[in-house]
Amino acid sequence: MQNVASHEDWRVCFSQVGPGLVLFARQWVRSRADAEDIVQEAFVRFWRRNHNIGNRALLYATVRSIALDLIRRDSRRARREAEALSGSDQVVEPQFELADDAQNALAAAVDRLPHEQREVLVMKVWNELTFAEIASALGISQNTAASRYRYALAALKKSVQPK
Amino acid sequence: MNDFAEIENELKKLGPAPLSDGFPARLEQAMADQNPRENNIIRPNRLRVNWAAVGFGLAAAAVFVLLARVRMDRTPEQRERIAQNSPVAQTRSTLSDQFIPAGATQVVYDTRDEGLHFANGSEEPIRRVRYQTQETLRWHNPGTGASLRVSYPSEEVVFIPISGQ
Repeated sequence: MQNVASHEDWRVCFSQVGPGLVLFARQWVRSRADAEDIVQEAFVRFWRRNHNIGNRALLYATVRSIALDLIRRDSRRARREAEALSGSDQVVEPQFELADDAQNALAAAVDRLPHEQREVLVMKVWNELTFAEIASALGISQNTAASRYRYALAALKKSVQPK
Repeated sequence: MNDFAEIENELKKLGPAPLSDGFPARLEQAMADQNPRENNIIRPNRLRVNWAAVGFGLAAAAVFVLLARVRMDRTPEQRERIAQNSPVAQTRSTLSDQFIPAGATQVVYDTRDEGLHFANGSEEPIRRVRYQTQETLRWHNPGTGASLRVSYPSEEVVFIPISGQ
């Protein structure tokens, strides 16, 4: 079977999934530049190995793996960054385009979710992966993926409800 | 009606932040620098280890060592008998000390899929599956009717290559 996608296919694929993939990678790194580096490495790896670009579960698993490798490799740097960012006047680049205060609150609530819920949420909402694809990428069952998603939504619903 | 439809809609209205201006061009350049055809050689899968065969081999080696010990433990006693007993009695004694393997079982009681990994910087993804098993080896001595059973827990980690198709 022909597995080599054309350059144009890759460009189209990237324009569709690029922003969501960078958002996905941002869960592990603070800066957008680092997240983009991770996504770039994932795409290059896919391109070099002639993987099928339609295999989104593998693409996300690749991003996740590269991000985790980066964290392990740069743990000291990450610690220094965390210490530097612990000051009160830190500026963290926004992960979302925010239009109003309500969206700001929702984005902050997303950021406060437990990591395993947030990664499922990001894959499902902004990357439109199926639970089967999420399960495959994360090495969990579909039921676990679905329940993490529901827990995330429940937590967000609770946090944005007016008190 | 989905209880979470409203919050899902709100989430979808949150768009991911746009990419850096130069990022698409940078990515395209990085991909252009790679020639997939040069790297398209299908290499033998370095991580494909037949763990079942390895496990079976180890089990067989364990049986061999145990049998050897059983026989060696009896040797001084047999020598004494040679000095004291008649040749007929000796023959019967030797035959009666034979432990014959009577079977081996392996029960898998837990399987855990640990997801996709890239081992040692490899570019080929692999799925890591961990099996926890209980292995039991049995021997029988037809001469005396005695039996011997050794049971131990074991764990196997199997790497399954993902083709990416």
